[in-house]
Amino acid sequence: MSVLSEMLHNLVSRPVTILYPKEKVPVPQGFRGRVAVIDEKCIGCSMCSLVCPSHAVTMVPDQREVEFKGKKLVRKKRPQIEVFKCIRCALCERHCPADAIYMKNELSSSGTDREAVVT
Amino acid sequence: MPEVIVPIGPQHPALKEPVNFRVIADGEKIVRLELDISYTHRGIEKAAEQRTFIRALPLLERVCGICSHSHSTAFAKGVEELMQLTIPPRAQYIRTIIGELERMHSHLLWLGVAAHEIGFNTLFMWTWRDREAVQDTLEEMSGNRVHYGMNEVGGVRRDLTPSQVNAALQRLPNLEERITKYVDMVQNQETMLLRFRGIGKLTKEEVLKYGAVGPTARASGVDYDIRMDDPYLVYADVPWNVVTDTSGDVYGRTRVRIGELAESLKIVRSCLEHLPEGPIRVNPPKTAPKGEILSRYEAPRGELVHFIRTNGTDRVERVDIRTPTLANWTSVAACLVNQNLADIPVIVAAIDPCLSCTSRITIVDKGDGNTGIVTWDELRRRSRLRDRRQEGA
Amino acid sequence: MTDTPLIIVYIFLFPGFLFLLAYAMLFEFLDRRIAARMQHRVGPPLFQPFADFVKMLGKEVIDPQGVDRPVFDAAPVIALAAVMTAFLYIPVVSASPLAFQGDLVLVLYLMALPTIILFVMGWLSRNIYSAIGGIRTVTQMFIYEVPFFLALLTPALMAGTWSISEIVSWQQDHLWFMVLQPIGFVVALIGLQAKLERTPFDIPEAETELVAGPWTELTGRRLALMHLASDVSCVTGCALIAALFLGGPTIPWTIAPVWLGWICGFFLFLAKTLVVLLILSSVKVATGRIRIDQLNTIGWKYIASAALVQVAVVLVMNSIRVGA
Repeated sequence: MSVLSEMLHNLVSRPVTILYPKEKVPVPQGFRGRVAVIDEKCIGCSMCSLVCPSHAVTMVPDQREVEFKGKKLVRKKRPQIEVFKCIRCALCERHCPADAIYMKNELSSSGTDREAVVT
Repeated sequence: MPEVIVPIGPQHPALKEPVNFRVIADGEKIVRLELDISYTHRGIEKAAEQRTFIRALPLLERVCGICSHSHSTAFAKGVEELMQLTIPPRAQYIRTIIGELERMHSHLLWLGVAAHEIGFNTLFMWTWRDREAVQDTLEEMSGNRVHYGMNEVGGVRRDLTPSQVNAALQRLPNLEERITKYVDMVQNQETMLLRFRGIGKLTKEEVLKYGAVGPTARASGVDYDIRMDDPYLVYADVPWNVVTDTSGDVYGRTRVRIGELAESLKIVRSCLEHLPEGPIRVNPPKTAPKGEILSRYEAPRGELVHFIRTNGTDRVERVDIRTPTLANWTSVAACLVNQNLADIPVIVAAIDPCLSCTSRITIVDKGDGNTGIVTWDELRRRSRLRDRRQEGA
Repeated sequence: MTDTPLIIVYIFLFPGFLFLLAYAMLFEFLDRRIAARMQHRVGPPLFQPFADFVKMLGKEVIDPQGVDRPVFDAAPVIALAAVMTAFLYIPVVSASPLAFQGDLVLVLYLMALPTIILFVMGWLSRNIYSAIGGIRTVTQMFIYEVPFFLALLTPALMAGTWSISEIVSWQQDHLWFMVLQPIGFVVALIGLQAKLERTPFDIPEAETELVAGPWTELTGRRLALMHLASDVSCVTGCALIAALFLGGPTIPWTIAPVWLGWICGFFLFLAKTLVVLLILSSVKVATGRIRIDQLNTIGWKYIASAALVQVAVVLVMNSIRVGA
């Protein structure tokens, strides 16, 4: 009986489907989306490259003067992340001492270029 | 009809993951069953040996999508115990909350899949709709709907903000109401009763003989739940009950899982309301001392065992994963004989198979095309032969 | 209405084949939409069945090795032709112009053809899933066909005629058979659900056990035509039950002028067949699949005995009326 009553109740109420693309799923704060780098904070310590489980981060040479914990220093490298190797585990965000690499709130969206990188 | 081989798998609509049942059937009755579970073997145990603890955790989390937190918690728990590290109470509560939420979403998923296997798609749609509430909670807390990434050696990675706690607590009453409705539905729906009652019956002695674990065993009256018998995290401090049933058939397993849903909801609510303050992690040492440990965890499907051996470096020397589905396969092969062909998907779904966890290698003999497993003595003999050949060459 | 051009319009345009095909696709759309809404989903848009049909016609036809190709090609066409012909004898706007004594038997026979064709295709498919599915189709047919025929026989017994159109006009002067023979109505609905192979009786096509049963090796235009045959038999079955138990396109008082009677009859026909479809869809959504041996038990214990009870009641009622 409970099945029948629920069926009839559902027949007259609005379906629960979210009609993408007219309606979008609300993405919560802290969702692990696409990886991104804040260039002015990175100190080139390679920590992200060392902890990445899927070897998605390679360090490329790049000189830049950055400020870290009140001191000025010159970094030698910066990370280059292959977007479609990233498994969005956010270990890089956790272990970065300068809070320079982080996961954005937006969805990681698909693409056609397998070698696409984020630097 | 004479005996025919009905291939269920490796690709079949009844299965969510590839497994090969070669069912030898006489008309509609099953005579024999040959099982091959090697299709999703990925070499995870070997890969984990070459990674530091930090990088091994995401790997082990991805053994299975539905019980991912179980694997990462079992591993982190084992390594922490080897390092003789105690994690702060807030971290333990958070791990418990995520673990029980995972159990809830897994059991709701199972209920839908079991209903789908008997053609009752309505219940499938409804349970998966309610599962979305649990998934939304997990997404808010951990950042992802599966593969939560909450654990690290030494504690948890993310903290729960008060707004997340409140949002989770607000979703619970609706879920509680739906769970009561499902209890009622399962007990009164005629076709479910017809298809589930008396199918795949396992007595208590058979369960103990074949080593079945989890809700499969608890439905036959075996009162074995790691959370009660070998408590870890906060299960010793939170009031909850082990759910058992005495019927031993698929109907009993359904009732056990729905009962566990209700219990998990109680545990989650109690933990969320009594979340202690404090830090969420401690800094672990870089290396783990030499030792071996057996880390047990009650995954949604049963008892999950991680055997971890470390040797003083920052990697594990050996991790061996015995998943609950692996322990339950023998009981399936045993109770499928003399059942109807139409009951295969029901009995297989009743142990909640998760083949991503299970895979063990099958050896295919190229010469005569036979498949089988290799015994320990045979393996030693073959490796000795190979060494001798290499030395001689 | 016996001149040839009108008969040709009746057969091929309205309410014959063209209307029938359009109505069959509308039926499938409504069935899927209602089922989806009951499950709290959205469901397909209006043209989905037509789009599926056109798409499947364009797909590649794959023949398993060693299969008998002419039979495989002809079989879905025969099934479709059979149910389409059966529809012509069921009153849609008023009495069918092709009616004759005994057309009830002809309709029942033609509606049984798709099931046999499905068995033949399952048997010929050289595939273990199809063979088992075909055997289940025939087993199921033996179980439900007897009660179904008996339940559809009782209106003919009480009305004293073997023509569907005359049974409909009998109901116009007396009560509907749904009121006079409620047991028969329920048995006929159950039998129709089993004939159309819908849950809880979709045992031959059990997706989780047998891939697709006898439908496994159907591809391309064969699948399109067989699926269309299944839809058309749904319409024919619902129209048959609406005609025999719900009074067809008539209401208990005559409407004059005649053309207004035809229009009202048409809308009544639509309404009544849709009511039967609603009942069938609800049953489909509310239950799961049962096993073939359980169907055997339930079919012979309850459904067949209910049909026999109904026949006995009708015979008693007939003798009372004759005697009085």
